[in-house]
Amino acid sequence: MSQTGPFIRVQSVSAPLKGSFPLDHEGTCKLEMLNYMVCLHKNKQQNSECRLNAKEYFTCRMDNGLMDRDEWKKLGYSEEK
Amino acid sequence: MSLSRLFSSQIYSNVLKIGAKNEYFGAQSIFQVRCMKTFPNKPNNNQYQKLRDTRNYTYYIMSLVIVAIGCTFAAIPAYRIFCEQTSFGGLTQVAKDFDKIAAMKKCEDRLIRVQFNSDVPSSMRWEFKPQQHEIFVHPGETALAFYTARNPTDKPIIGISSYNLTPFQAAYYFNKIQCFCFEEQILNPGEQVDLPVFFYIDPDYVNDPALEYLDSILLSYTFFEAKSGLKLPDPFDPKNRPTIAQDNRVPTK
Repeated sequence: MSQTGPFIRVQSVSAPLKGSFPLDHEGTCKLEMLNYMVCLHKNKQQNSECRLNAKEYFTCRMDNGLMDRDEWKKLGYSEEK
Repeated sequence: MSLSRLFSSQIYSNVLKIGAKNEYFGAQSIFQVRCMKTFPNKPNNNQYQKLRDTRNYTYYIMSLVIVAIGCTFAAIPAYRIFCEQTSFGGLTQVAKDFDKIAAMKKCEDRLIRVQFNSDVPSSMRWEFKPQQHEIFVHPGETALAFYTARNPTDKPIIGISSYNLTPFQAAYYFNKIQCFCFEEQILNPGEQVDLPVFFYIDPDYVNDPALEYLDSILLSYTFFEAKSGLKLPDPFDPKNRPTIAQDNRVPTK
């Protein structure tokens, strides 16, 4: 265990903000997921280049009822991107 | 004639004054004697003052005690609010809301490497692994990562996962928007699913002096098996008693 005491931030697990992703049993968004993984692999695991692919994945999830609809800026995708 | 008269008049007036004072004192003492006769135990002015002083001191000290007790009662929510605002002593920030995500800016100068690890206990028969070893993300930017889980058995298995982040100081800034933890996930036999993790690192990461040279975070998920309808043995059941091992051997059933 790491050091403990005052002024030390002790970690505690917390629930995610939007809850849990419903499981994609049928694999409806598998193609978008694979596109994202290919993009990551091409760009040497840099997240900044592959955000559009992630956005496509979320679009697929939202369209198939696997994710609650939210505005893009609430998910970190501002309009200027 | 005048001198003696003056003297005598002065003496006479002095005598009168003295006499008057005596009379005055006499009157007072008569009054006091009268008071003491009618109220034998009544304290006089000096004692009144002392009593009043004591009473004032008592009230003062009692009020201090009551204020101190009130402070101990008020300290509990006050400390909690203080901890939440300043994250002093380990509480994570509560209520990370969407407006903060919408307003946050990407920090270009720091690149954080988030590595992924997966674990299952040996009794859990899922195959669970991350799809990428690591991902490089800027603080203030939302990121997506994937894990895969497969159920190779012929029975549906319910799993529930928990996560862990190392190092602790950096873990404070790691916020998950959506993931697959803390909820029961059922996998049918032979099924394989992708489990996404949607997270971001707080832009305040760059302002923390303890994290100036720390660029690597490890996110580790563990999937446990959840048995629905599991009935645990009652500890107060007289038949459910521990057996005493003989010769330090584990008793076999």
